[in-house]
Amino acid sequence: MRRGLWDREMVALMLLMAMMPMTLAWLWFGGAGAFWRLVFTLFVSGGWHIIFMLARAQQPSFAGALTGIAVAMLAPYDLSLFQLVLGISFGSVMAELVFGGWGRNVLNPATVTLAFLGFGFPAAHWPDFVLPVSWAALPALAMGVIFGVISPRLILGALSVMALAFIAGAPVAAALPAAAIVLALLVSDPVASASTRVGGWLNGALYAGLIVLFATGWHGAAPMQIAVAAALLASLAAPLLDETAIALWAARRRKRHG
Amino acid sequence: MFGSHFSAGLILPQPGLSEAQADPSVCLTDEAALVPEHGEDLRVTLLVEENALVAQGQPLMRLRQAPGAAIVAPMAGRVARIDLAPGRRLTQLVLFHDPDGDRYRFDTADALGGEADALRVLLHESGLWRAFRSRPFGRAPGPNESPAAIFVMAADSRPGAVRPDLAVAGREEDLERGLEALGRLADAPIYFCEAHTFRHQGAIPANVTRLQAGTRHPQGLAGFQLHRHFPARIGAPVWDVAAEDVADLGHLLASGYLHSTRLVALTGDALRGAKLVRCQPGADLRGLAQPYLQAGPHDVLSGSVLDGRPAHWLGPRDRLVTVLKRGATPQRRHWFGAALARAAHNAPIIPTAALESSMGGAALPAAALVRALAAGDAEAFMQLGGLSLVEEDLALADYVTGARPRLANQLRSLLDRIAQEEGTA
Repeated sequence: MRRGLWDREMVALMLLMAMMPMTLAWLWFGGAGAFWRLVFTLFVSGGWHIIFMLARAQQPSFAGALTGIAVAMLAPYDLSLFQLVLGISFGSVMAELVFGGWGRNVLNPATVTLAFLGFGFPAAHWPDFVLPVSWAALPALAMGVIFGVISPRLILGALSVMALAFIAGAPVAAALPAAAIVLALLVSDPVASASTRVGGWLNGALYAGLIVLFATGWHGAAPMQIAVAAALLASLAAPLLDETAIALWAARRRKRHG
Repeated sequence: MFGSHFSAGLILPQPGLSEAQADPSVCLTDEAALVPEHGEDLRVTLLVEENALVAQGQPLMRLRQAPGAAIVAPMAGRVARIDLAPGRRLTQLVLFHDPDGDRYRFDTADALGGEADALRVLLHESGLWRAFRSRPFGRAPGPNESPAAIFVMAADSRPGAVRPDLAVAGREEDLERGLEALGRLADAPIYFCEAHTFRHQGAIPANVTRLQAGTRHPQGLAGFQLHRHFPARIGAPVWDVAAEDVADLGHLLASGYLHSTRLVALTGDALRGAKLVRCQPGADLRGLAQPYLQAGPHDVLSGSVLDGRPAHWLGPRDRLVTVLKRGATPQRRHWFGAALARAAHNAPIIPTAALESSMGGAALPAAALVRALAAGDAEAFMQLGGLSLVEEDLALADYVTGARPRLANQLRSLLDRIAQEEGTA
């Protein structure tokens, strides 16, 4: 029998490819420091995949590289190597691998890593990005949508809420670059975000709404901290949003077909 | 109708059927066989013995569960071989063709009179009953089952399928008579689904609702039309039947003879080109494809490239034969990779745009349905409208995502379990 393309590893590779504009821009401006940091996070994340392959016969996935990239780019930059290893191990193992690998997890492992590092080491400084890296999030998202691995509704939902907040005069401008990068790297993960159509809109809108809320009311927080917290809460709510969307769909069908 | 034009799906390569092929030739193969559907448990009482001469349309066996229902000879000939499994379960009954054979005439006077019961008896007697497929569960309807709705499919979006208007071209009157008869059969709405690019030109009785199906696969499958317009439920089965079979019913009512051929498309990359032929039901696929084959090893599937199964004979409801080149033998894998693949759980399906389109776009929440199937969650599956689906409806999603185990197999086992729990199996 013939088989099509879109198995798990192809989706992971397409996501990796979509993230390339942003990752390459970040490497370009970050230089050797960024490069070695990326090598290190990839090494730790891949190591856990290999351990789970040997111990639990779980096929390793390219999604591990996505986690590595996201953590290298977004994690607080003055952490010691040990702290970083601890964070990635917690995120990779507890949020992804113990569930049976990518596709069976509930939360994005990189989101959990970053939240863990943020809560565990609150004195560490969150990174700032030069503007080209933030702009590179747009082609990254566009490529993901064109490949069909990122939900366009999620992005449109986030953009429309953000635009409304901007028009209403909420102080979101400072948080925008970080929010765009986190939207591409963490929120739009097809596994950890809502999978239904209505759910996608709600998920994007919720993420942007949380950004606006934190940017307005959470004083002293770094933009990246705001974005990561919003991503964590939005992806925690994703299953609920999906359930809501399915309940709405079922109600509409019940009305139509009795 | 916006829905049919903008509904999602995938554009699949359709090997064009040129003008020369638009008038298909009649090609009866030397052998033909009666076989059960895939997975069907067909317990029969034989009416003929090996070597008996039979007429086209003559009842050859009766079903044990429904003694009124017969399975008839697809062509005139001699019974070559009868293979039964223990418990009188039919494996196959092979016939040799006899070009000078007789045709069996059915008595249609009662059925023409308008009595629903007489029509039901005629359908049972002529074997046309088994052309219907009842959902939920996708089997031939029980002997006393009454449908809540009937979908007549004059559309098929499978890759390489017969252009839907050709199957009934020139038989408009038969089709109209057949549709009228269906209206008498049951007090149920009847839907006539046609591809919106190939509208049926003949007359359609007034009590039949015309629907237009999109041309993108899977919009032209009965499952998605049912799902959209009249979902099947336990206790309210919905039948679907091909328009050609309804025309056969009309022909039977008018003449008393069963139509002897079925329009079948031959397609696939091992053929020199796509081809339409009129052959008998249960035709020998190798005999059918032989004149058009390219040299080299190949596999013959009854059904489309997506949902077909390797077969020797044309399946009971199939109108499409796919002949594929056999790929090169797979390279030997490293022992570690092979061991890992055996030990590992299969990789899950990631919800993507490809998955959504392959399951009809907004028609149903694809990711949730896939999850319900993988978890064997019958309640969620029924809530999501899974009872309207059968294996062929998920074949495209199987192909697109390369799912292991196949979604179609997961669907079948879940349907079987639900049927068992409901006590309808």
